[in-house]
This record gives sequence, structure tokens and C-alpha cells, in this order.
Amino acid sequence: MMRQQFDKDIRSLDAVFGFLRRFAAEERLDQRASYVLDLAVEEFFTNIVKYGRGTGNDVHLEAIRSGRTVTVRLEEQTPVPFDVTRATQTQFDVPFEERKPGGLGIHIAREMLDGLTYDYVDGTSRITLTKHLET
Amino acid sequence: MFSISVNDKGTIVLSGRFDAAQVDTAREILSSLDASAVVDFRDLDYISSAGLGILLATQQRLKKGGKAIKLVNMNRMVRDVFRIARFDLIFEIE
Repeated sequence: MMRQQFDKDIRSLDAVFGFLRRFAAEERLDQRASYVLDLAVEEFFTNIVKYGRGTGNDVHLEAIRSGRTVTVRLEEQTPVPFDVTRATQTQFDVPFEERKPGGLGIHIAREMLDGLTYDYVDGTSRITLTKHLET
Repeated sequence: MFSISVNDKGTIVLSGRFDAAQVDTAREILSSLDASAVVDFRDLDYISSAGLGILLATQQRLKKGGKAIKLVNMNRMVRDVFRIARFDLIFEIE
């Protein structure tokens, strides 16, 4: 299990990817799983930076492998529950000219992950991503 | 590390990892584009929705003038991201 704290700032993304890269190397994740985790964590981390209601200035990441399942959690201290996984919705039913990118990242992450949940426990908003490994 | 450049044939070449922190770098080149162009993904390892958003805005702007960007040489994972986003219906991908 790996755990690390990051400043709630878009400039932390390089460090977030570094954390995920170390985890992927340690757990020998395949390229696809590694890509999916990078993409999903980026989407939710940036959503927390943009929309998070947290009182603190940091986000905790935790990554665990159990057999063929990888779980990554993003945690933020918040005074009230706020589910950033539902912050915006993708609009596929509009003409191309009117299409906006909002919600696209969450849609892609949902499609590529095997599980995505949000819960709120003891003042902490927690997004849990799971990905089953092919090998 | 992400980079975006225009080669001597006018092709826009992307390389590295196009994440949310690279949007301003990409916008510098793409926002000045005023003609149809090819964007080469051969050396691009990663793209997230932030990169897709910039490409979508560029395509929407160009299409108003009857122009477009064409995307070539995507790796399998990047192509999957475009397919899931249904961007394969918006861009010519080769």
C-alpha cells in the first residue's frame, strides 16, 4: 500500500503521476491499467482542485493492490458531502457545434474503470477507483 | 514532458503526455491555427480530457470556416480514449 499527500493545486499533477508511476512499477501493472489509473486520477484530482469544497489545502492518495484488483482512493477533508464524480454531466445528444468538454473526463474514467464510488465518512470525502488487472 | 510543434510540412506534432497542466502550452499553437492541418500523435503517450477539450475547441472553430484538423498515428490507448469520448465521430482519424 502506498499513501501520499498532495497540495490541492493543478501544479501537483506531476507529483501525482510520479506517485502512480512508482506504484505501477512496484506492483508491475500492465500499460493499460497504468494508463487508466493515470487518466482517472487526473480527472478526479483536477475536479477536486476545481470544484472541491474542502476546508484543507491537500488531497490524500492511497493505492493498494489486492490480487488482480487495484484500488486508488482520493480523500479530501470537507465540511459537507460533495460528490465531485457528479459535478458535471457529458452531453452527447447535442450537435457537434454545441458540444462542450464538461464531464467528458468522468465519462471516460467511468468507462475505463471497473468501479467508481463516492462516500463521505467522518468529514472526509472519498472517491474510490477500482481496476481489475488482465495479467 | 509534453511538447507541441509544427514541422516543415505544416504538420502539428504532439509528443509526451498531454495532461491538464499542459493546456496552455497546446493552446498557444492551436489557437493560432487558421487552416486545415494534420496533427501527428505518433510520439504522444497519453492524453486526458483536458487535451480533448482543446482539440474539440480547435475543431469547432475551424469547422465554422470549412476547415478541419485530421488526427494521425494514435497509439491504441489514445485511440480508445477518443472512441469512448465519441470523438471518432468529430475528427477524421487515420
